[in-house]
Amino acid sequence: MTDPSTVLPAIYSFPPLYTRQPNAIIRRQQIASWIDLVLAYCKSQNFWCMTLEGVPVDEYNKSRISIFINSEIQRSVPQVFVEEIWSKMCEEGKAMGTETGRKDSSQYYVLWRTLDSWASLVLQWFENSGKLNQVVTIYELAQGDETADWEFHGMPEPLLAHCIKPLCQRNRATLIKDERGKPVATKVV
Amino acid sequence: MGQRSSKVQITDNDRAILQLKRSKDEIHKFTRKTDQLITAERAKLKQMIKENPEKYKKDVKVRFLLKRIHYQDHLLQQAMEQLINLENLVSTLEFKLVEIQFIKGLERGNEILTKLNKEFKNVDELMDNVQEQISYQNEIDDVLAHSVVGVDNFEAELDKELEQLDREINPQPVVHMPSTDKLPELKSEPVGIPEDSSKLENDRANVEEPIIAE
Repeated sequence: MTDPSTVLPAIYSFPPLYTRQPNAIIRRQQIASWIDLVLAYCKSQNFWCMTLEGVPVDEYNKSRISIFINSEIQRSVPQVFVEEIWSKMCEEGKAMGTETGRKDSSQYYVLWRTLDSWASLVLQWFENSGKLNQVVTIYELAQGDETADWEFHGMPEPLLAHCIKPLCQRNRATLIKDERGKPVATKVV
Repeated sequence: MGQRSSKVQITDNDRAILQLKRSKDEIHKFTRKTDQLITAERAKLKQMIKENPEKYKKDVKVRFLLKRIHYQDHLLQQAMEQLINLENLVSTLEFKLVEIQFIKGLERGNEILTKLNKEFKNVDELMDNVQEQISYQNEIDDVLAHSVVGVDNFEAELDKELEQLDREINPQPVVHMPSTDKLPELKSEPVGIPEDSSKLENDRANVEEPIIAE
C-alpha cells in the first residue's frame, strides 16, 4: 500500500489545502491543485477508478486510504468539498462517473489523459501492431500480453469502451456488443 | 478511404472470430486466476511447513494442499495449450481471410483481362483494314509525287527554251584568234623570247577575258 504523501508533491502536506477556501479565486486555484494531485496520484499508481470518497478502486480490493485524508498532518477534506472537486473534474473531462448518464456517481474514472487522447493512443496501438481491420476484444486490449507496454494496459473495460467511442464517431472503429448490450470487441480500420 | 463514406462493417467472419477470441479471453482469464491461486497456495504451503517443521510430512493438510497445487498446475498447463491452439486458430483464420482477398483479386483481374481480350476480337479485320488504308495512302503519295516531278521537268524545259531564245537573240561573239600567217619566220637566236612570250600571253589573256566573264 502506497501512502499518497510519499508520491505526491509537497503541496499535499499543506494544511490550508484541506479547508474550503472562501475566496472564489483562491478556491478555483485550490480545486485546480486538488485535480492535479488526484491525476498525478492515479497516474503514478496506475489507478483508473476512485470512489466518491477518494479511495482508489482496484481489482484486488486491497484496503486503501482516501487521497483526501492525510494522516500525516491530521487533515481531511470535507465530503461536500470533495464532491465539488469531482464535479469540477467531470466538467473538465478529467473524470467520469462510472455509471454513465448519472451526474452523481459513487465511483469515478480518473482520466489523466482526455478520452480523445486515449483514443489516439489506442489507435496508435492498432496501427503499430497491425491489428487494423481485425476484431479485437476489449479484454485483449486491456489485459492481453500484446498491450503490456502501453499506457492503457489494465484499463477497466467499460472505460476502454468509452475511449474507443471517439474513434467510432470518426468512423474509424465499431464497437461490437454482446447479447446484453455490453461492448465486448472493436474493429478499427 | 473516405472517412465519412461508410461505417465500419462487421461481417459474419468477424463475428465468428470474435466468438473465438472471447473464448480465448476466458482461458486467458482462467490461466491468470490459476496462476495467482498457485502462487498463493505455494506461499501458504511454505508457511505451514515453517510452522510445523518436524512432522509436516505427515500432516494431511499439507499433503492435500500440495496435491491441490499439482492439480491446479496440471489444469494451468492444459489451459495454456488450449490458449496456444486458439491463438493459432485465430491466426489461421486471419490468414485465410487474406487468402480469400487474394483469390478475389485474381478473379477480378482475370475478369478484366477477358473483357479486354474481347476488345481484340476484331483485330484481324482491323489490321487488314489498316493495311489497305496504308497501301492506299502510299498510292496517293506516289501520284502526288509524280505530278510534282512533272512540274520539275517542265521547269527545266522552260529553262532550256529560254536559253535557246537567249542564244538566238544574242549570238555568241566570234573569237578571232591572231593569225600566224603574216608573221615573219622565227629566228634561231633565242634573243627577245622572254619579251615576246610575255606579250603573247598578255594578248591571249585579253582575248580570253570576255569568255570567262560570260
